[in-house]
Amino acid sequence: MLGLADMLAGPAAAAPTRAPHFAAKAKHLIVLFMTGGPSHLDMFDPKPLLNKHAGERPSTVDLRTERMTGGLLPSPFGFRKYGAGGIDVSELLPKLAGVADELCVIRSMYTFNPTHTPARNLIHSGNIAATRPSLGAWLSYGLGTENQDLPGFVVLTPGLFGSLWRSGFLPAEHQGTAFNVSEVDPEKMIRYVRNPRLGEEAQREHLHLMRELNSAHLSDTGPDAFLEGRIQAMETAFRMQFAALDVFDVRKEPEAVRAEYGTTPYGNSCLLARRLVERGVRTIHVYYGQGQPWDDHKDINAKLRGRCPDMDRASAALIADLKRRGLLEETLVVWGGEFGRTPVSEAGDGRDHNPYGFTMWMAGGGVRGGLAYGATDDFGFQAVDKRVSIHDLHATILHQMGLNHEKLTYRYAGRDFRLMDVHGQVVRDLLA
Amino acid sequence: MVRPGCAVFLLPVLCAAAGDDLFEKKIRPVLAEKCYGCHSSKSKAPMGGLAADTRDGLRKVIVPGDPGGSRLLTALRYTDPHLKMPPAGKLPEGVIADFERWIAEGAADPRTGAAAAAAASKPDLERGREWWAFRPVREYPAPKAGPWIRRKVDAFVLKALEDKGLAPSPEADPRVLIRRVSLDLIGLPPSFEETESFAADPSYEHLIERLLASPRYGERWGRNWLDVARWAEDNPTGEATNPPYPYSWRYRDWVIEAVNKDLPYNEFVKRQFAADLLPGLERSEMRALGYLGTGPVYHKDNRLSKEVIETLASDDWDERVDAVSRGLLGLTVACARCHDHKFDPITAKDYYGLAGVFASTWQVKRPLEAMEPEAEARLMWVLDRHHHLNAASKLLSGSENIAPEIVKRRERVLAELAKLKEEAAELEKRELVHAVSDAGIWIDGADPIVTWLDIRPGKPRDLPVFLRGNVATPGETAPRRFLTVLSKGEPRPFRMGSGRLELASSIVEEAAPLAARVWVNRVWGWHFGRHIVGTPSDFGTQGDKPTHPELLDDLAARFIANGWSLKWLHREILLSAAYRQSSAPNPRAALADPTNSLLWRMNPRRLDFEAWRDAILTVSGSLDVAASGPSVNLDDKANRRRTVYAEVSRRRPNPLLRLYDFGDVNQHVPSREVTTTPLQQLFVFNSDFFHQQAEALNQRAGGETGAGRVRTLYRLALARDPKPKEIELGLSFVAKRSWAEYAQVLLGTNEFIFVR
Repeated sequence: MLGLADMLAGPAAAAPTRAPHFAAKAKHLIVLFMTGGPSHLDMFDPKPLLNKHAGERPSTVDLRTERMTGGLLPSPFGFRKYGAGGIDVSELLPKLAGVADELCVIRSMYTFNPTHTPARNLIHSGNIAATRPSLGAWLSYGLGTENQDLPGFVVLTPGLFGSLWRSGFLPAEHQGTAFNVSEVDPEKMIRYVRNPRLGEEAQREHLHLMRELNSAHLSDTGPDAFLEGRIQAMETAFRMQFAALDVFDVRKEPEAVRAEYGTTPYGNSCLLARRLVERGVRTIHVYYGQGQPWDDHKDINAKLRGRCPDMDRASAALIADLKRRGLLEETLVVWGGEFGRTPVSEAGDGRDHNPYGFTMWMAGGGVRGGLAYGATDDFGFQAVDKRVSIHDLHATILHQMGLNHEKLTYRYAGRDFRLMDVHGQVVRDLLA
Repeated sequence: MVRPGCAVFLLPVLCAAAGDDLFEKKIRPVLAEKCYGCHSSKSKAPMGGLAADTRDGLRKVIVPGDPGGSRLLTALRYTDPHLKMPPAGKLPEGVIADFERWIAEGAADPRTGAAAAAAASKPDLERGREWWAFRPVREYPAPKAGPWIRRKVDAFVLKALEDKGLAPSPEADPRVLIRRVSLDLIGLPPSFEETESFAADPSYEHLIERLLASPRYGERWGRNWLDVARWAEDNPTGEATNPPYPYSWRYRDWVIEAVNKDLPYNEFVKRQFAADLLPGLERSEMRALGYLGTGPVYHKDNRLSKEVIETLASDDWDERVDAVSRGLLGLTVACARCHDHKFDPITAKDYYGLAGVFASTWQVKRPLEAMEPEAEARLMWVLDRHHHLNAASKLLSGSENIAPEIVKRRERVLAELAKLKEEAAELEKRELVHAVSDAGIWIDGADPIVTWLDIRPGKPRDLPVFLRGNVATPGETAPRRFLTVLSKGEPRPFRMGSGRLELASSIVEEAAPLAARVWVNRVWGWHFGRHIVGTPSDFGTQGDKPTHPELLDDLAARFIANGWSLKWLHREILLSAAYRQSSAPNPRAALADPTNSLLWRMNPRRLDFEAWRDAILTVSGSLDVAASGPSVNLDDKANRRRTVYAEVSRRRPNPLLRLYDFGDVNQHVPSREVTTTPLQQLFVFNSDFFHQQAEALNQRAGGETGAGRVRTLYRLALARDPKPKEIELGLSFVAKRSWAEYAQVLLGTNEFIFVR
């Protein structure tokens, strides 16, 4: 029924699947976003010299950051090497340590702006301005969606965060659809997903009448791409209500699985991400917590002790669970924040924003597990060895999804735009 | 949809033509920035006799295919103590690696001739001026005559159709026509009675005059302009330095009033740039300055370095250049921020000449009532200073054991803030508008701890050309002035303050042909659902060519001759036979012209969200037509106002608006996409809004039952009588479900959201 509509390049019910540029390693992307900027120095990038020179301020750390900083702040957390690859992980993250051989840890990330919003825009859309399409929108545009009953780009967040999942100049169908994970009841998570007054049978009557009226109207007007597309979209929407109520309901999981992930908003989100991958959703963004929880300007040690167990448990559970189900190979998981934190102290017991060097990790999706890649300087301030920019990360993600980052372009405002603009190289050393 | 044109852009360069991409992207910019200063064919004696700005010159120090044998690379690598270039410091390894790769791959260098550098970097102006969009407009004789032709535009349409062996469609049924033109002009559907009385006596001209005179018309067409103007009531982020614009609605009201009054388009544009500088205007016209006064502003944290703040400020100016050039001139001038435009005759110097106007334009609150100039200057300064101090005081606070240097700054800020607080609070009680005033904006980075905007009223700022768009590499000064290609001869530097008024005048006077073409094309697109130039904000060489070039020129020329009157333009288009055509499909024509670019029929369309929601409120009898005033939350259950009065946010775009393809108003919106997604339909099935409007519609149907009630509901919702089959379907539905539910299905039908 949609054939004609598609040929006429009219609006379709949802972005259909499109062929990648080459065989993709990964079909799905899950981004675990640690809003605020998590401390690499306390989790993945051990720097013994920090403790040795605690309180000092050697000239190499005299970099300007957002706030005034003092001397070097030691990390009280013990590190050990884990897995066959010998990945350094701190005592804050025992569960992730247990899946160390799945992790491809990039310790030489850097970004270009020390302030949250521009840096967040950059990591989401390749540009500090709030105008470009988000990574997930690019993937939807480039690859389409596998499940016509669900959005191709799903955002799981307990709090609104502007429009980081915008489609910008790409057609609006590629924008992320946000679900409020501070609720566990799918009816409360998704706008308009359920009819508060009518049951399924009643709605079926509605749909039936709608279909009859619309078909008669269509035969009256003659073939029309929009009219046909909307008839199709109505049918899909009808099914989506029930599909979504099912897929977004983590309560349908066995107790043991829910316990493995934890029943926090982040734990539920990670579990939901797995359920969505199983149903063919292309991109899932998971946001940790409300606001900017990882923005530890003060009292960082106590705060990390409080927050890490939840993050550690759910992130590791997601990797282990995907692996058990044979989904990890086709799912790229990316963990990180908009930047890292400074080795020098802020306010005595906090760490300031650090765009110069920080850690992100990937897992699954054809990346090399058990790898610690690149390095920051002796104090963990600046990435110095095998530096990886946000643009390089984007190029690498697109590559794993089967897209040539230089070919994924969209003509707008007089030129062809790319996620990475003119920057970015695929970091081949990270690939399995 | 991936455009076929993308195939050309396989290699890294986005802005350059295929081939030599590595050179254009990685090599030439570095040569220009790091080498030409000493090694240029333009200097009398290039140092070392090396002219790096020519292909032949550079070849003296490279051996294509052999990086090791190339002296250039030796110099870049800093391995020979006697040959280190550039002298100021070794280039980053990545850049040197690019040179190595470029030489290894054969050192492709597209520059030709001895003095190619200058020619290659400067688009050819004379040839550029020959581009169709830059040529003067003129009227053309009607290329056809015949009975079908009602207005001059029809002659052009008919000619193009007949050239392809096509014919226009017959005129639409009057009932179709009144619905089409009502939704088009005022964004509201006609009632059953209006429809039937028009069908009985189709006095079309009279109908159009009635619609154009309706205050609802400005609400519809003002909204169209607001897309172009990327109007909103807050900023991309809502941080201390870039809070929302609480009086932004006054600009929205001004737009609606100006459109209703048919303020000539050239005047409409000028007032939005410079209502404060034009003589003889009523003070309330200051509201027009919201076009610039509510432009998106990025957060500029005072704790960031001068360089970062300057970059953020230049992003603001870039947005203005982009909104103005694409919105009013159909030119992608922002492409020339980092280098001369690769395709259109626009130089980086042109870009910075425009950006300087905005670096000299201060976004500031101004009073709606007239004040003595000195008192007004004081008001602007106090409110702005208070805002900046307030933001800085917040940013400099935070934890209690904060560094002593910061505490000192904060105390200073708080002391000054305390002095201004009362005065600012008093001034803020006045009725204010978000406007602009002339003041140069510099960045004061003297204090290593706090960076300030240094705003100097009355002192405009000429920007340097920032090489590769980087504020850390300022080049020659670019005086504030208009685009060279659109100027007669060399453009004259702007002399009056920021140059806002001169810029606006240049747009609608010197560049009148282009400005008129762009506006006529937009209006044509809103009426027909398809533009004459398919890229309404890009009339450059990368944009689409006009499907009807003579029609566009003729209409633009007559638009100017008719005093830039939008209502004149509406009449010219709406009274045409082309507009009145049926939208019925025609398989034979569709085969020859599948996208209907030649207008062999009217384009059927989906209503945009505003007209759809307003139409639902209209037929349910709930519409509150109160005009003007502060915006109302779209999601508020009690909101029955027209959708144009809903809040519009850049930071938190209303999900419902975005779901239905409302533009991303963080930037200029060239035209709206039309998408059809399942999530949109959930709103129809399950939202409280639909439920409530269906209830209201059902109430309006009174106490009738049976077939009579079906008919009444059809008349109310769809302005027609139901067919027997439809009555049958309705009755069998209500046998199981309620009348209100039946009303909801009618409101959700394709027929309701569709315009034939």
